[in-house]
Amino acid sequence: MIQFEGVAKTYHSGNQEIHALNGIDLAVETGEIYGVIGFSGAGKSSLIRTVNLLERPSKGRVLIHGKDISTLSSKEIRTIRKDIGMIFQHFNLLNSKTVFHNVAMPLLLAKTPKEDVKKQVKDLLDFVGLADQAQKYPDQLSGGQKQRIGIARALATNPSVLLCDEATSALDPQTTKSILDLLKKINKEYNITILLITHEMGVIREICNKVAVLEAGKVIEQGSVFEVFSNPQQATTKRFVRSVMNDELPESLLAQIYDTHSDQAIYRLQFTGNSVGTPIMSQVSRDFNVNLNVLFGNITELQGVPYGNLIVEFSGELNKVERAITSIRDNNIHIEEVTHYVS
Amino acid sequence: MSVNYDQILEALWETIYMTGAAFGFSLLIGFPLGIFLVVTRKGHLLENESVSSALNMIINIFRSIPFIILMVAIIPLTRLIVGTSIGTAAAIVPLVFYAGPYIARLIENSLLEVDKGVIEAAQAMGASPAQIIFRFLIPEALSSLVLALTIAVVGLIGASAMAGAIGGGGLGDLAITYGYQRFDTFIMFITVAILVVLVQGVQSFGNILSRRVRRS
Repeated sequence: MIQFEGVAKTYHSGNQEIHALNGIDLAVETGEIYGVIGFSGAGKSSLIRTVNLLERPSKGRVLIHGKDISTLSSKEIRTIRKDIGMIFQHFNLLNSKTVFHNVAMPLLLAKTPKEDVKKQVKDLLDFVGLADQAQKYPDQLSGGQKQRIGIARALATNPSVLLCDEATSALDPQTTKSILDLLKKINKEYNITILLITHEMGVIREICNKVAVLEAGKVIEQGSVFEVFSNPQQATTKRFVRSVMNDELPESLLAQIYDTHSDQAIYRLQFTGNSVGTPIMSQVSRDFNVNLNVLFGNITELQGVPYGNLIVEFSGELNKVERAITSIRDNNIHIEEVTHYVS
Repeated sequence: MSVNYDQILEALWETIYMTGAAFGFSLLIGFPLGIFLVVTRKGHLLENESVSSALNMIINIFRSIPFIILMVAIIPLTRLIVGTSIGTAAAIVPLVFYAGPYIARLIENSLLEVDKGVIEAAQAMGASPAQIIFRFLIPEALSSLVLALTIAVVGLIGASAMAGAIGGGGLGDLAITYGYQRFDTFIMFITVAILVVLVQGVQSFGNILSRRVRRS
């Protein structure tokens, strides 16, 4: 597991101080896929680099499997780095070497016997699905293939932790999906703890169990992906969530509501898990004789749990509408009035 | 009296010998210096400000002395090393002082072209500084290094011709003593032609070799 305890990083440029990290406390449990999201300049890249000491924290500690890594000698650091794989946005492969040689590099550094290197590289390339590309050079491969090589290389030393530095940010959506699937498979099959940083909420939704939102070097919100997505607290978090789960009413629809309706009540309903399956809408409509008009809605999957979001207009007698709403609430569906639409 | 065929051949051989020997020694000095120039830089593998600025100062001093002056200026040192200040062997000493720092700079430039990300990846996989230099930096820069060293050899051929001015032998000597001082236009033409062919040959060889080592 990885623990950050009050980690701070200050850069000096001239006589200016830049505080990239301002006291980060986070705990990444073994076997988790933990995502750190933030806009550029939030400090994500400094944060992930403190884990393998590519950046040394100015203050605070980083513990890996309970061991404070900042106290280690440079030789011990090199040893622990072999237990922490890392992949990069721009892959950082050796263009002068074949795919085989790139993947073999960590093993060659460790002076692994030739025969073992051959076998292990073959297995790794099989695992990432590029066994037939071993003799090619990186510049003959696509971005997705290069990242697969990067992943194979990172796995060569059999690490217990994998750091992903914007690993899919240079890739198209389809390739991103395939790389994320591969990361999921790594996490499952090898039980490797994955810490990733990204600015794409889609990546977090796709594979992470937990998420931390980083802003100006601080963690402003953290929790399970489900919690954070279904109930974001901070403005930045809301923006990120909205980037993948648009729950805002389209402008045109909004204008239309203003024009044609005067006494409507508009509510946001959030269905999670089992409640997605209940036909609650038609039920309350019948029971309380109110009209429901779905203005907007979407359903996505978070962590394998369905999550729905509906914006519904209720019309009918006031007391009946109120009873309908109480009834919905009693069914464990989160419901709130969207007051700002009705002003 | 004109120059005979053997004299031209001998001069050519002297030029090749001077250039080759000077290149070998210069490389021995310049290559490690170039590596140190890179790795002691701020934010690099073995950041060390005092070593870095000392190296830079020394190299800049040598690089700012014109070769013709350098040659004369270090005559006592040349005498100390080879026992004489005249002749082909004596010319090699100033050539090394000239080309060593030059090669260091060229090597530095080539190594700096290597993507910082590659170095970061190397560090992340637990490579030691020596492993990073020899297994990442140099192989990645090899193609560019070969081109840079080609430039150094061409520069050395030019400088070795200048060494003729202090009796270093070689094609430069031939051109000056016969072509210039005795107004032998034909000899002047011949030496220039040989030098052009020599430089062309070296450059072409460098280009081919550079392409060859791009992938290893």
